[in-house]
Amino acid sequence: MNKLTASAAAFVAAVAFAGCTEVAQEPGKGYAGKEDAKPYASDEFKGDKAKWESALAMRSQRMNDYNRVPNEKK
Amino acid sequence: MARMKFICDAERCIECNGCVTACKNEHEVPWGVNRRRLVTVNDGKEGERSISVACMHCTDAPCMAVCPVDCFYKTDEGIVLHDKDLCIGCGYCYYACPFGAPQFPQAGAFGLRGKMDKCTYCSGGPEENGSAEEFRKYGRNRLAEGKLPACAEMCSTKALLAGDAEVLTTIYKTRVVTRGKGDEIWGWAMAYGGSGMLADQPGGKA
Repeated sequence: MNKLTASAAAFVAAVAFAGCTEVAQEPGKGYAGKEDAKPYASDEFKGDKAKWESALAMRSQRMNDYNRVPNEKK
Repeated sequence: MARMKFICDAERCIECNGCVTACKNEHEVPWGVNRRRLVTVNDGKEGERSISVACMHCTDAPCMAVCPVDCFYKTDEGIVLHDKDLCIGCGYCYYACPFGAPQFPQAGAFGLRGKMDKCTYCSGGPEENGSAEEFRKYGRNRLAEGKLPACAEMCSTKALLAGDAEVLTTIYKTRVVTRGKGDEIWGWAMAYGGSGMLADQPGGKA
């Protein structure tokens, strides 16, 4: 009888703990579409990433109006 | 490596919709599709603030995670793009996106839903850079021309900034420091107006 109770308890415990198992949540296989060309691969930059990045950084700084307009209060 | 981001300064945005118009004009976006839009809180009341919202090109993008056909990809610059040839227009990305960025062109009497369209950070899509096909599907590729997104460059008050996160941080820091504001630049009171005290906020306890 004890053996039966022990095995029943083990079975119930196994079923109960199965709920605690981590379900696999891996992301999908990854991108399945066409390859995209690099933005600096255009004729203008000819694959020169550093030149492209500096062009964009310079362009970003144009949005900094404190650089464009001298601040007398400073 | 550049990590492209948008930031909208709610202190400067005047709800002119210049960014929305610039985007629609630049990419010839069809009627009913708004890659960028303005959200205003406390409209017409004291403490009104507006913010320009589009795809935020999330670092861990939920749209990419839920897409059943894996049509999303992220460029080296952190821009989230998708292949319209693969998209089935299911709308999962729309439900997953916290910003409501994915848009679906509708046509016909029964609201036929087309392929998803969203902000591309003005960097086109998986077609030859600057080609007619790229423009037709994704809009103009300004990044390949060494330019920044049209919405940010068109912003009259420079509320909307776009570019490498490091550069944007420098610009924004200069701005905040020059304004002469301290901790109060962040938080509830700045975002929604009223008191910054926790007890005065909805659900707050004294």
